[in-house]
Amino acid sequence: MKTVAMAWRNLFRQKRRTLITLSALIIGLCGLVIFQGYIGSLMRGFRDSTIRSGIGHLQIAASSGYFEDGEFNPFAFQLKDAETIIEGLEKDPEVQAVFPSTGFTAVAGMGEKSVTLLMKGYPAERMYFTPAAGTPASGTPTAPQDRFTLGTMTAGALAGAGQRDRIVLGETAARILGAAPGSVITLMAVLPEGGLNGRDFTVSGIYKAPGRDKIFAFTDYDTAMDFTRLAAAPVIHVLAKDIQAAGAAAARLPHGVAVRTWHDLATYFVQVNTMFAGFLNVIRAIILLVTLFILANTMNRIVRERMREWGTLRAVGTKKSTVLFLVVLEGCFLGTAGAVLGIALGFGVSFLINQAGGLPFVTDGQRLAIKILMSGQSVWLNLIPAAVVGALASFLPGLRAVRLTPSECLRQV
Amino acid sequence: MSLISIRNVQKSYRLDKTDTPALIDVNIDILAGERVCLMGPSGSGKSTLLNLIGCIDSPSSGSVVVNGADTRTLGDARLSEFRNRTMGFIFQSFNLIPVLSVFENVEYPLLLQKVPARERKARVRSLLERVGLAEYLGRSPENLSGGQRQRVSIARALVGKPQLVIADEPTASLDHVTGNSIMQLMVEMNETEGATLIFSTHDPAVSCYAKRIVRMTDGRIAEDGSAA
Repeated sequence: MKTVAMAWRNLFRQKRRTLITLSALIIGLCGLVIFQGYIGSLMRGFRDSTIRSGIGHLQIAASSGYFEDGEFNPFAFQLKDAETIIEGLEKDPEVQAVFPSTGFTAVAGMGEKSVTLLMKGYPAERMYFTPAAGTPASGTPTAPQDRFTLGTMTAGALAGAGQRDRIVLGETAARILGAAPGSVITLMAVLPEGGLNGRDFTVSGIYKAPGRDKIFAFTDYDTAMDFTRLAAAPVIHVLAKDIQAAGAAAARLPHGVAVRTWHDLATYFVQVNTMFAGFLNVIRAIILLVTLFILANTMNRIVRERMREWGTLRAVGTKKSTVLFLVVLEGCFLGTAGAVLGIALGFGVSFLINQAGGLPFVTDGQRLAIKILMSGQSVWLNLIPAAVVGALASFLPGLRAVRLTPSECLRQV
Repeated sequence: MSLISIRNVQKSYRLDKTDTPALIDVNIDILAGERVCLMGPSGSGKSTLLNLIGCIDSPSSGSVVVNGADTRTLGDARLSEFRNRTMGFIFQSFNLIPVLSVFENVEYPLLLQKVPARERKARVRSLLERVGLAEYLGRSPENLSGGQRQRVSIARALVGKPQLVIADEPTASLDHVTGNSIMQLMVEMNETEGATLIFSTHDPAVSCYAKRIVRMTDGRIAEDGSAA
């Protein structure tokens, strides 16, 4: 039918008015697209660094209890088939790296000073510390993708493969103990049978990671397993090629094991992400509400101006519902056109900002340049609500167009 | 049998909380194929009577029966369909849809009738040829003269093969020469298509195109007879 064509062509009858009406939506959505792209880029970097700071895309344990209270008390959660599962996952094309880890609580002492540490043991080749001088250029991590990035190495280095009983201490813990690379500290931990084990560890490096470097310390996996006398790994980490690949890899895992995705485990990231999403939704809602009133006002004027047209359409046989549909569709097109222009402008400005190097972001004293993310999500997340707002804004004016009889409409000047 | 039968019709409009009568006790029958002119000064009730006959307004009391259907009994959707299939309208200000081309304006009533595309296009082309606008199919109505617009309006009114064509002051917005040519065209269409033509005017020169003249005064039919 001609209804769609008529609604579309009506947009261009008063081009200047259409543009002025849509200016609020265009400017608002342009800003929102840029802000959403900036936050999106930051959150993507945050997500990737969260995944690669000790979580992984997937974690596999013997039972779900491990994820509640087994990380530093692994004795009850040994994964008997760990080797088989690792072998199977290594063949999965979606998997980038798969490796076991363990953890335990220990008291570290040096001279008269002691601190409590949460020890994590990863294979040496799966641990990475950013050099102190290294500054990533953007929110996307530049660290190797097949290992965990556990912090910034401020002194010393990670022990080489085969070097046992080495420890990487956090900066705060090292300061409390007065330790430096080469220092020897004594670790004491409780064993499964209830006994105590003590051993000297040489500090190979000192790392910095805000909020973590007082309590977390790292050693290689073999040392940790030997020290705690564990027979089997309590957990396996999987680093997939990307987020989508993680789901595919999880689907191919054997039954009878407990699996958690990064999303289940990265609770802080999920909270921050949800907060930002909510914040963006509030901004979007305000923009759309303002647009709703502006569009409703314009549609009211349009309906009043075209009364004779509605009368003519009804006289020649158009049903009330079709006239209402025509008005609502025009509003819908108006909202959609505004959204398309706003999003296009937002993408255009984002492109120019990215070409100029991105927007600045300072974290841990590092000045990063954040590239603005231009995603399809920005399109539908703004386009669909704008179209709906356009339709809503024109519904009441549309009812006005059909409330009068055709002769009453035709009498309007 | 009458195509239109109007009995004891009253129509009043509410203005400033008082009812102002526009039609008072109107009774009239119009036969199929007739060419009727409603004459009278402004405010005499011509347009109101045309609106009631055209089912675009409803009487305050009395009955309006068109083609055997009592218009009071039809719901809005049925009434729309009834108008689309039974009537064609020609307005004083042409009332073409500005976002549709000449072709599309004429085609519109056929789209509502769901006439197949091939037949639809053939009928529109044929009718536009007959009104002398074959060259203007793709033009916007805004780029046409007043006379050309009224020709498009006539084509739109006739394209659905209606039994009744209603024209409210069809020449009022046109100069004398153009007005005459439009009336000649309407008469020709009335004779060839056989559709009943009812038009209103206050111009005696235009009324001579009718076979029957109904004179109205103050909302009443003052005189009803054959044209001289």
